[in-house]
Amino acid sequence: MMYKKIQITLLIPILIGTTGCASLGVEPWERDLLSKKEMSLNAEPIDAALDDHIYFSKEASSGGKGFGGGGCGCN
Amino acid sequence: MKNKIDKTNIKAALTIATTALLGTNNLAQAESTSTSAEENTWEFDSAFLFYSEVDRVSAGEAIFNAKKTFDNEEVLNLKLTIDALTGASANGAVAQPTVQTFTRPSGNGQYEIAPGDTPLDDTFHDTRVQLNGQWTQPLAPDYTASGGVHISKEYDYLSLGVNGNIAIDFDRKNSTFSAGFSYFQDTFTPEGGIPKPFASMLIGDSNDPSWDDDFAKTRIGSEDDKSTADILLGFTQVINRRMLMQFNYSYSMVEGYLTDPFKILSVVDNDGAAQDYIYESRPDSRTKQSIYAQSLYHFDTTVLDVSYRYMWDDWEITSHTIDSRLRIPLGDSFGTESYLQPHLRVYQQSAADFYRPFLLESDPLPAFASADYRIGEMTAFTVGIKYGMLVNNGHELSFRLEYYRQTPTDAGFNEPGILKDVELYPTVDAIIAQVTYSF
Amino acid sequence: MQYSLKQIQFTVFILFVLLSSSHNANSQEVVNSQTALEQALDEHKGEVVYLDFWASWCGPCRKSFPWMNTVQEQYKQQGFSVISINLDADKMLAEKFLIETPANFTVIYDPKGKIAKHFKIQGMPSSMLIGRDGKIKSRHTGFFTKKIPEYQQEIEQLLNAIEVK
Repeated sequence: MMYKKIQITLLIPILIGTTGCASLGVEPWERDLLSKKEMSLNAEPIDAALDDHIYFSKEASSGGKGFGGGGCGCN
Repeated sequence: MKNKIDKTNIKAALTIATTALLGTNNLAQAESTSTSAEENTWEFDSAFLFYSEVDRVSAGEAIFNAKKTFDNEEVLNLKLTIDALTGASANGAVAQPTVQTFTRPSGNGQYEIAPGDTPLDDTFHDTRVQLNGQWTQPLAPDYTASGGVHISKEYDYLSLGVNGNIAIDFDRKNSTFSAGFSYFQDTFTPEGGIPKPFASMLIGDSNDPSWDDDFAKTRIGSEDDKSTADILLGFTQVINRRMLMQFNYSYSMVEGYLTDPFKILSVVDNDGAAQDYIYESRPDSRTKQSIYAQSLYHFDTTVLDVSYRYMWDDWEITSHTIDSRLRIPLGDSFGTESYLQPHLRVYQQSAADFYRPFLLESDPLPAFASADYRIGEMTAFTVGIKYGMLVNNGHELSFRLEYYRQTPTDAGFNEPGILKDVELYPTVDAIIAQVTYSF
Repeated sequence: MQYSLKQIQFTVFILFVLLSSSHNANSQEVVNSQTALEQALDEHKGEVVYLDFWASWCGPCRKSFPWMNTVQEQYKQQGFSVISINLDADKMLAEKFLIETPANFTVIYDPKGKIAKHFKIQGMPSSMLIGRDGKIKSRHTGFFTKKIPEYQQEIEQLLNAIEVK
C-alpha cells in the first residue's frame, strides 16, 4: 500500500519531467511573480522553524518539506 | 521604498527609444518586488514566540538569524535559538476518581493529583540554546550546494548535527531536482537517570533512608543516546507564470534511546482502578517515510500556499497534514506595504502499534508500550492570522496569533469500570503568539 | 549562430508584417518594441553594442547597472553603446527601478518579451555583444561581478578589432 503511494508521488515528477516539460514552465523573463518573496517555497523560514519545533514536540510526524527551485531563476 | 516621484528624474532615467505603449490591463500597484539580497550586506531577523497550553506547558522561544550574501551568490546563514519551557505535561497515567500520588522524575519528592484530573507532571523547567550555521555555494550555472551544522544544548540534552544538500536546475530553471541528507547524534542525561523499562514507579517517601537505593534499583543507567539519519529527494516545477509546485520524498531512520524516561502507564484492574504505574518502553529504532506536495499560486494580488504531507512509519503511525496560507496584500492603507495572512492547518494521526492508553493487569505485558498521547490517535487543527507591515525605512514587522487544538481520540480500547467516568483523551488547547522584526 | 544586422532587420520586418495583420490588439506595442530596437541599432551602426536584457525583479540586473553605466561612459568615445531591453510586464515597475537605479544608456521596453523570444534568451539577465560589423560576437547568461574583468576584456577586444570587409 505504502509502496504504491511512493510510486505515485515519484511518478508525478518523472511524468512532468519527461512528457509535460514542453508545456510546463515559463520563459526566463516571465518570472516576475515567481521572484516575489511570497512565491518562495519557504517564504517564512523563521515561522516555519518555530512551527516545526512546536509540531515536532506535540505530534508524531516531522519534516518532509524541501528546498530548491522556483524564484526569479536569475544567474 | 518611500521615494517621492520626481518627474525630472523619470525623464532622465528614460531614454529616446521608449515608444512602446503598455496595455492598460496591468492594474498592479507598484508593489515592491522582492529581489535577491543586496550583495555583501547582512540581513537580520529577530523573532519571539510564546506558546501556551491551557493548564499545561508554556514556552517562550527567541530566534536571531543573520544572513549574508556574498559577491558570487554564496550565502552564510547563522541562527541562534533560545527557548525556555515551563509548566505541566501529561505523565501518561490515566485519571482516577481518587487522589493519585506520583514520584518526580528525579526521584526527589512526590506530587499529588486531584480526583478526576488527568495526571500532569509540572517538574519541567528547561532552557535550551541552539546554534545553526549554513553555507550555500553555487557550484556551476545550474548547480547549488549547501551544508550546515547544528548544535543544541539544554540541561539534560545535547544534540549535534550536520546536513548537506544539492539542487540541480533544468530547462531554464523551470525544473529543479534536489537531494539532501542530515545526520544527528543526540545524548540524553535525564534527571533521575534512565528508568528500567516497565519497572514500577517507586512511590513512598523520598526522605526515607532506603529511598535512594530503592530508587536506584529502578534505574539502568544515567544517560543514553540516539542517532538520526534523514534523506530527502525533491522535485520543483514551475507550472506557469503564477504557479509553482514541489514534490518531496523523505526517509528517516532513528536508532537508540527513543523512550520517554518521564512517562509511565497505569496498570489497572478489571474495575479500572490503578494498581501500579510502570515506566514506558519504546522500540530502539524507528523508520519514517513521507511524501509531500506543495503548491503556490499567485492570483491577481493574493498568493495561496497549500501543502499536503503523508507520513508512515514502522511503528504503524500514519499521518496526514494539510497546511494552507493565503497572503492578502493590503497595500498602504493599513501600514506601509502591509498584508494579512490567514492560516489553517489540519492534522490527523493514527496510533503507534504499541500505544496503550493504560494496561490491564490481567493482560500479559506487551513487548513495548507507551501512553504518550503524542503517539496515540489524534486530530489537531491550527487557525491563525498574521499581520505584517514595513516600518523604519523598509524593515518588516509582523505579528502572528494562532490557536492550536489537539484532540486525542479513542483508538479502540475498552474502558473498564471507573475509566468510563474519567476523561481518558483530554483535549489540549494552545495559543501561539509571535512577533518578528527583520532589518 | 551569427546574425548580421541585415538578418535582424529582415526578421523584424517579417514580424512587423505578420503582427500588423494579426487580430491581437496589442500588436501595436509589440511592433513598436521591435522597431525601437531596429532604430537604436541603426543609430549605433558601426559601433560595438552591448545588448542587455533586464527586469526590475531581477537581483543580478540591479547589480549590473552601475557597471553598465561605467562602461557606457568609459568607452563611449571609442564607439560603444549599451542598449538595454526591459522585460517587465508592468512598465511602472521598470520606471520605479530606474528611479532607484538610474541608467545612462538606452532602455527599450519589450513587455511582451518578443525581442527576448526572438533572441532565445535563456536566463535573466542576458547580454550579447555585437561587433562593429553588426554580428553577435558573444552571449552571456547571468551577471557575475567576479566576471567583470572578462566582460570588459571582450568589449575592449571588439573595440580594437580591425574590421575585415
